[in-house]
Amino acid sequence: MTYLNTIIIDGLSFAIPLFIMAIGGIYCERSGVTNLAIEGLQGMGAFVGALAATLVSGMFAADSQAPMFIAMAFSFLGGGLYAVLHAVLCVKFKANQVISGVVINILATALTTFLTSEISTALFGAASNRFRLTTSIRLTVPGLSEIPVLGAIFTNIYPFELAIILVALVAWYVLYKTPFGMHLRACGDNPHAVDAAGVEVSRVRFIAVMISGALSGLGGICFAYSISVQFSSAIYMGYGYLAIAALIFGNWQIMPTLWACLIFGFARSGGFALTQVMELPSAFTDLFMTLPYIVTLFLLIFFSKSNRAPRALGEIYDKGKR
Amino acid sequence: MADEYIVEMRHITKRFPGIVANDDISLGIKKGEIFALLGENGAGKSTLMSMLFGMYEPDEGEIYIRGKREHIASPNYATKLNIGMVHQHFKLVSNYTIAENIILGIEPKRRLGIFPVVDLKSTNEKVAQLSRQYGLEVDPKAKIEDINVSTQQRVEILKMLYREAEILIFDEPTAVLTPQEIDFLLQIIRGLRDGGKTIILITHKLEEIKQVADRCAILNRGKLIDILDVATTSTQTMANLMVGREVDFVVDKAPAHFGKEVLRVEHLTVKNRDNFPVVKDVSFSVRAGEIFAIAGVSGNGQVEIADAVAGMAQVAEGSIVLNGTDITHMDVRGRTDLGISYIPEDRQHMGLVLDFSLEDNLALKTYYKEPFCRKGILQHEAFSQYGERLIAEYDIRSGQGKDTVVRSMSGGNQQKAIVAREIELASPLMIFVQPTRGLDIGAIENIHRQILVERDKGRAILLISLELDEIMGLADTIGVIFSGELLKIAPADTLTTNEVGQFMMGVKQNEAS
Repeated sequence: MTYLNTIIIDGLSFAIPLFIMAIGGIYCERSGVTNLAIEGLQGMGAFVGALAATLVSGMFAADSQAPMFIAMAFSFLGGGLYAVLHAVLCVKFKANQVISGVVINILATALTTFLTSEISTALFGAASNRFRLTTSIRLTVPGLSEIPVLGAIFTNIYPFELAIILVALVAWYVLYKTPFGMHLRACGDNPHAVDAAGVEVSRVRFIAVMISGALSGLGGICFAYSISVQFSSAIYMGYGYLAIAALIFGNWQIMPTLWACLIFGFARSGGFALTQVMELPSAFTDLFMTLPYIVTLFLLIFFSKSNRAPRALGEIYDKGKR
Repeated sequence: MADEYIVEMRHITKRFPGIVANDDISLGIKKGEIFALLGENGAGKSTLMSMLFGMYEPDEGEIYIRGKREHIASPNYATKLNIGMVHQHFKLVSNYTIAENIILGIEPKRRLGIFPVVDLKSTNEKVAQLSRQYGLEVDPKAKIEDINVSTQQRVEILKMLYREAEILIFDEPTAVLTPQEIDFLLQIIRGLRDGGKTIILITHKLEEIKQVADRCAILNRGKLIDILDVATTSTQTMANLMVGREVDFVVDKAPAHFGKEVLRVEHLTVKNRDNFPVVKDVSFSVRAGEIFAIAGVSGNGQVEIADAVAGMAQVAEGSIVLNGTDITHMDVRGRTDLGISYIPEDRQHMGLVLDFSLEDNLALKTYYKEPFCRKGILQHEAFSQYGERLIAEYDIRSGQGKDTVVRSMSGGNQQKAIVAREIELASPLMIFVQPTRGLDIGAIENIHRQILVERDKGRAILLISLELDEIMGLADTIGVIFSGELLKIAPADTLTTNEVGQFMMGVKQNEAS
């Protein structure tokens, strides 16, 4: 029973940040821009957020939750601003979107590692490869958490999970219900139609890439809080790529992508629980942590046939061409 | 004068690199008429109308709308002037509904609590009402990817009407439609005119003009030839004006000596990617020493015939026999070895590897054989010798001889290189598709002479060209294709240019004679 609870609690706290990163990817790719940069965007976002939290932590009590929310806000901004690089390269200069994405990932790893050590030297007088973060509180809903099995959903919730669900709702609303969302999705199918309708394709795509960065950054800082309570280069665990896999299984739609993220989340926490049930040495933990990726591989085999990418995905839009 | 015309174009000139697409064209279009623009491919019709719709700006000349001079810098501005255009290639979002496509860019909004949302419900109603009003029945909630081409076209028309367009431009609207759909469309166009709209119809089909248009401007090579009253002008006269230009060059041609049959195509049907038949039940044969030319307006299936024979397109039905061997489903290399030379329409994409050297390109079809390849190793010396010989024999001019990167060569010399390579194969069948497209006079004459030399050597030649002069000058036998069907096959000396031109327009046999 306790294992089941752990699986649900840990699964959700992993799936939800993954979900918001995947939504970011959906925004980018539905506008027609390939996004392999989620990994780098979430890392850079998390770095900016963790830095902000470190800088302001002195102003608050040791157990204050305020630095975490400040960190989330800054991760959102940091990811969005770093994504400008991808937008400028892909939309303005019409560079190859795959290469741009890979470069952004490599650059993010190098920059954040370097800056973390430099800045911590400047701040604390000693070089360190991490920013320590405050431990997040966990919320448990009285009553609902008493329900057998499902009660675990309402137990030990990170506050960021709630924040992300709120952001996800807004993202869903904007993508499917507003004129901007309509233009965005149209850009990924036939940019010529959008152009003919008098809407600027490059502007829509530019904003979409920035939103993608902001949401990825938000996901990144949440991983920093939930998994390690610090920011270090361990943030680059490949969760950005997992988010890409999730949005592909989700067929570039928000609701199906949520299910894909939950499957990944439970596969991960289930694998972890399994090592404990079987009382395996800790070396096996790493092996079992690969479960989400193995699940990915199998899902790919079954789902790739029915999948339909946005028609204009990766296509550089040239106004002059008819 | 300004009051008489809703659209007036004065002395419009538009140049693109190398060509004058529109040369000093002046015309006026009256409110509430159907005005047709007639001309062959490349005559400048679409360019002229693209300027009216704001896609290009004229280099010289002025455009007046409702008597007022306008600089139409973008399609957006054209829309503001109540000008709408149905493009040849539709601009629709395939995973959106009809209604969503129609409102794209000008979405009506309503409030859901405090949140503004796109108002699809009222849109569906408005679209349904609009479609009833103009007799363009559509289901506003159907997705574009689920509806056929003719319905997609209705969506494009509704898009214009939703934006309250008064001047409607149709660019080759019937090219993708079946005869029944064409009748229906022409009826709609007439209805729109009767409702007070001004219609501009770009087409090269005479019958359609005769059926619906009030007046018709004829363009030829960027120049305005004449503006005619359709009711008092015969299709014959229009065809004469459109194709009846001086034949620039007379080719010296020896009498033909036909040998045995080399190529036999029977009941050939080829389908395009949308599974639509573009070549329909075509049969013909080509003998040794014969130039069999297929004449037709671009896009009527002639290129697909050449591709099917060369092995570049899949055959849906029918058979292709070369010298007694059925090659219907043979691969390209097999056909090359059996004896087909192919000069493709698009020399830069299909004919050459642009970043390879000239000598490599010249050996592109033989590199895997002796002496170019021995025991799996390429023999550089053989490439060089072969290249140098062909360059001298065929007078291929380039900056650095055999080592020149082909991309840097002129179009005429690129074509010479392909022709040299294909002639050297000494194949019994040679296919030339648009062999002189984009070449200057000298290069054209050179290619024509070579085609005739090969014919006199006893090769069977399948020539596909959009240039009627070229076909009349070279062909021994002419097949005229229209809408995927060979309407007429006859010895060249029994046909006049005008007759061929009429068949190309799809005019029926009994009308022509």
